[in-house]
Amino acid sequence: MAVLELTGVAKSYRAHLSLRKYWILRNLDLSIQEGEVFGFIGTNGAGKTTTIKLALGLIFPDSGSIRLFGDPAGNPELRRRIGFLPENPYFYDYLTGREFLDFHARLFGMKAADRRRRVGELLERVGLGNRGDRQLRLYSKGMLQRIGLAQALVNDPELVILDEPMSGLDPIGRREVRDIILDLKARGRTVFFSTHILSDTEMICDRVGILVRGGLKAVGRVEDLVRGEARFWEVTLAGVNGGEIPCGRVVSRGANQILVRVETQADLHRLLGELNGHGATLVSVTPARQSLEDLLVREVHRAGPARSGEVERDAL
Amino acid sequence: MARAAEYLPGRRVAGLCAALALASAMLVQNGIEGGALRPGGGRPLLYLPSGKYLRVAALGFDGLLADAVYLWSIQYYGNYQIQDRYTYLEHIYTGVISELDPHYVDPYLIGSLIMNTEAREPEMALRLLDKGIAANPETWILPFEAGFLCYNDLKDYRRAAAYFEKALRVPGVHPLVRRLYAEMHNRAGDKRTSLREWSEIHDTAQDDYVRTVALKHIHDLKVDVDLLTLTEAVKRFEEKEGRPPARMEEIVKRGFLTGVPRDPEDRAYLYDLRSGQVAYGGSLVLGR
Amino acid sequence: MLSRVTAIALNTFREAIRNRVLYLLLVFAVAMITFAQILSLLTVGSEEKIIKDFGLASIDIFGVLTAVFIGVGLVSREIERRTVYTLLAKPIHRAEFVLGKYGGLVLTLLINTAVMALWFFLILALKGTFDAGLAIAILMLFMEFLLITAIAVLFSCLSTPMLSSVMTLSLWVIGHLLWSLDLLGAKTPSAAARALWRTLYYLLPNFSNFDVKGQVVQGLSVAPSAVGFAALYLALYGAAVLIGACMVFQRKELQ
Repeated sequence: MAVLELTGVAKSYRAHLSLRKYWILRNLDLSIQEGEVFGFIGTNGAGKTTTIKLALGLIFPDSGSIRLFGDPAGNPELRRRIGFLPENPYFYDYLTGREFLDFHARLFGMKAADRRRRVGELLERVGLGNRGDRQLRLYSKGMLQRIGLAQALVNDPELVILDEPMSGLDPIGRREVRDIILDLKARGRTVFFSTHILSDTEMICDRVGILVRGGLKAVGRVEDLVRGEARFWEVTLAGVNGGEIPCGRVVSRGANQILVRVETQADLHRLLGELNGHGATLVSVTPARQSLEDLLVREVHRAGPARSGEVERDAL
Repeated sequence: MARAAEYLPGRRVAGLCAALALASAMLVQNGIEGGALRPGGGRPLLYLPSGKYLRVAALGFDGLLADAVYLWSIQYYGNYQIQDRYTYLEHIYTGVISELDPHYVDPYLIGSLIMNTEAREPEMALRLLDKGIAANPETWILPFEAGFLCYNDLKDYRRAAAYFEKALRVPGVHPLVRRLYAEMHNRAGDKRTSLREWSEIHDTAQDDYVRTVALKHIHDLKVDVDLLTLTEAVKRFEEKEGRPPARMEEIVKRGFLTGVPRDPEDRAYLYDLRSGQVAYGGSLVLGR
Repeated sequence: MLSRVTAIALNTFREAIRNRVLYLLLVFAVAMITFAQILSLLTVGSEEKIIKDFGLASIDIFGVLTAVFIGVGLVSREIERRTVYTLLAKPIHRAEFVLGKYGGLVLTLLINTAVMALWFFLILALKGTFDAGLAIAILMLFMEFLLITAIAVLFSCLSTPMLSSVMTLSLWVIGHLLWSLDLLGAKTPSAAARALWRTLYYLLPNFSNFDVKGQVVQGLSVAPSAVGFAALYLALYGAAVLIGACMVFQRKELQ
């Protein structure tokens, strides 16, 4: 069963004092299956946040239908089964982390004892165990992201919707978020998250959707989307004393290292075989696969420049 | 937006509830109005503090506030449905508006008009005008109004003359005030002063109309003054001599008068020996 | 439903009591009430009257200011600061959110008014007087705050805090001067214009229903029916405004 399903959804907005409509989403079909981790990829202004707000009933579509767990979205009761982390979350900064989570737990009607237990658990889980009694105004951006994640999980939701969960985090923070997502997946939860940081996405997503200017350009498993694409290798060599490098093209030349691009696997084998003859040492070999990033860039290019009447709008 | 309606059941019900509640609130308001709770007409005024305090509270907008109270008062006092609307009349004009803006002339005029003609409180009106005169000595219209009120409503010509005299001291006063001033002396019985004033008016008159009017007054006043002079002389003669004079000339001969005045038509005044009365011949002719 | 409204109300209350503006207003009010004590030394005779006038006026003005300045930000600030997204992603009906916000400010005002009233009565007690009528006047003022708050919340759903506070304060002033509108209506010769004035007169919130300050200070008694009518008026008018606020917020796009 689809946990979240958008069918033919269109959404426009009108600028102030203007009759002109700007389309943010046109005819979007999207279906998130139970238990999967779905990465929603797009440039800034592609309509990712709009899609998420529509799913949560914060804004209403011009046309099309949105279903959560098979029922029309917009019914507050359905949100009992959902957790949501907004982009760049802003919270009540006069609350401490613990009060903040307690407040959100209250909204689900949890009993005082349950709340206390759950809040402690969540603080530990997002690595804020010893910061819970500090006011949110004193939190760093990374800590806010974590407490935001904690509030999204307060009801142990079946579907977790995260808007740009990685943005603003340092590499360690990103890895922690990634681990939480993987943990949710391991518990059979569904995770739907949007991002424009692609490096972590490939590893954790079961499927991705690429949104370009309000339209879904590609959906599928990462391997399926990037498979069949040409690959190449980047080889870094040290101690090369001049001369031509066979079966490769020199990309850059440093003080005593050079970077060589090799197009085929056969060429790579030949190059590695001939290293000794040149008196060179191998520093690294990096397989440069066609990545999601390339895919996204290509889709954006294919869509062409923005036409008038279309507008790129960030963080709606 | 079409979808929004689907998500929001009970919108129509909510709208209906809101409308119903509002309508009921309006009914309750109507109940408050109609019932015993209806405040008396003067009620809003009872709590209006004196202008002296309001001025402090007005934060420099005292002129504006005076305008507001003034405008409101005109509406209020023009409403004949409020029975007791004059209860705080003096408070409003003398106590509030004139305190807020002592140099605001219109409220003095309108206020005194309402006090006098509507509330029938001429003395109250005069108190308001006195306040205005004190604060605005350079405005002749205020003493003029006060004088006119004394003349027209109180028939107190001496008081009227005193107000007109104040008005006359202001440069640029309307010439009518001078004539009224002269006439007040006449009405008050001070014929000689009146004659003097009218003569001056005649001598300084700029146009024929005023000159004609002045001449007419001078004519009548001269008769009055002469008759007064002659009657007084006859009376003095009688007191001294124990008998009335036989002829007019006898009065002059005995030194009671320097000469016998003649009437404006240059005839002698008529003297009736038996009654000792002096009369104006013109009045007999004209049947006065 | 009630538990969620309560949770939001308590959170709003917590926000208010951690807001410095509230304390600033409260300190001002207390200072004004105290100041009346000093001012009363300047008069001859009616010292008590001045203290009472000043005290009730301070409670009125600072209560209204609190209601307006916190009220207009209740909803719009949540939207502006985007805290509303997290909240409404929870199983909360939007009406519950609006009512919770309203309830939170009402609770704040209740405490606020209680503090001001206590101080006021303390000052009067030092003078050796107490007047039950004053308590009724304060109760009526509190009703006024409740209505003002409802109006502030409605505007908060519609507009920015800046504009909302101007609108709410204007309505408050107009609502105290409605009798002049009535007068104007009676004076207007055109029947259509008169009907318009009358309609406006009944449609706009009539705050003079809650104003018995002058009466009470003058020692006049307030009819129980006046209190009853005021309460009924508050209940109905307030309900209309709050339902309106909920309806507006219900269809609001939280961009």
